[in-house]
Amino acid sequence: MKFRYRLLPEGAADGVVPLNVAFIDQADAKACGLTDLDAVKLVAKDLGKGCAAVNVMDKNGVSVSSDGIMNPIAVTSVACVDHGMINPSFGFMPLSEIPMYDSMMKDEPHMRQWLTEKFAGRPLHRGPNKTDLGERTGHNEYMTTTGRIANNNSGSEFFNMIEMTEILALMAGQYEIMNDGEVIIGVAGPEVSVGIGMVVSERWGRIFGGTNLGGYKPGMTAHCSGEYAKTVKSDYPVIAAPKPKFMETMLDALDIGLVPGRELGCSPALVSVAHAYGKEIDFDRITPASWVELEDIGLTREKLMKPVEKPYTREEMILHAEEIIPGIPNAKAYKVSDIIEIREVEF
Amino acid sequence: MKCMHTRLPDYYAKVEAAAKRLRPETKFSISGMENVKTAKLASLRCGRIEQEIVQVTEDPEIAEIEINMVPFNPEEAYSVVIKGKRADGTCKKAVLDNMYATIPSVEYYLFDAEEIDDRRSGSRQYDV
Repeated sequence: MKFRYRLLPEGAADGVVPLNVAFIDQADAKACGLTDLDAVKLVAKDLGKGCAAVNVMDKNGVSVSSDGIMNPIAVTSVACVDHGMINPSFGFMPLSEIPMYDSMMKDEPHMRQWLTEKFAGRPLHRGPNKTDLGERTGHNEYMTTTGRIANNNSGSEFFNMIEMTEILALMAGQYEIMNDGEVIIGVAGPEVSVGIGMVVSERWGRIFGGTNLGGYKPGMTAHCSGEYAKTVKSDYPVIAAPKPKFMETMLDALDIGLVPGRELGCSPALVSVAHAYGKEIDFDRITPASWVELEDIGLTREKLMKPVEKPYTREEMILHAEEIIPGIPNAKAYKVSDIIEIREVEF
Repeated sequence: MKCMHTRLPDYYAKVEAAAKRLRPETKFSISGMENVKTAKLASLRCGRIEQEIVQVTEDPEIAEIEINMVPFNPEEAYSVVIKGKRADGTCKKAVLDNMYATIPSVEYYLFDAEEIDDRRSGSRQYDV
């Protein structure tokens, strides 16, 4: 039989991609009678002496970005492979499906997105449960490691520990990769660096939260590092969706009444979009530490509290996405088919 | 027996002796615990390692034993001790904090191995 997967190879996107990242469509694996782990083993075998971070994706699933925006794609397992090997204890980690629980909409109000027509009934995968974590202990992040490669934060940051390089992959960008769309790739910049710290509180979240809710609530910053927050990830390349498409995911959340700072994280992208769209921002729930980080990149409370003269319509928001959504300066757009290799493995 | 532990210098001496037991000219090196000056190591494990070294040297083609001590968990947690010292060397203040480091995992040391005999206990062996 032949098993197919997608490889974003090292050197892709005009040399910006620093390491191999493999994406497996779980449906392709299932069609071959393979589990997620079986499929990752085939990628390991196919790459020979090479190495890669590997995400197994469910195109029918849903997941949530760190600031609480739902995306129609999910990572069901994360892994790293090197020289045909997968570290038995730390090289592979499933991200099990998360059932809706009784108090979810109260405890995690951003999950109201899951009730909308676009997402209802689709399986949710975010971070690992206790069984998924295996031998990982309290200090371990949601990471897999094999040899030279680490795959962190439930499949959104990939490292090479020898080269000490890194690339980020936002969920909306991974959706594009799995659906032969377009991505933008560029240096993250200070806005993305600040934004990825402004998380929502979730059980089994992609970055925080286990059986208990994660301690960082909307409006807080998990980085909590003042003027340094803008530097945390600012120099690393990032794979994202084109801003008009990224815009649509945020508008969907704002259109059902979710508010940055209250139900959603107060990331630079979300507060900028809500402001231009004439939607509420919960200014008082944005903590002083978050304001320091936002104001440090020019998103002052004064500026955001001043309503726009005429809020854009949804169509205008999409049209003006490039100027409204801050971050990833000088990104270059690529057709996914131009930068991805479709590889076949006989087994 | 299970609770017995071996002194670190004794471990170094034992593993080098094991490497040279069959052929004294066998080259030997050990790395990975350079910053650990004093420690007690599980004695039964020391014995296993000695036996395994001797077994490897039973192959007449083996001219060198290289041992790499690699942390099991590649996401390491450290306690950082920041000490402020006076000119006379006495410590006036220490600040403690955490540091986390992700390091290359054990596979990095196996790239050139033609054969891997994984004898780790528990469910830590490669699924071959």
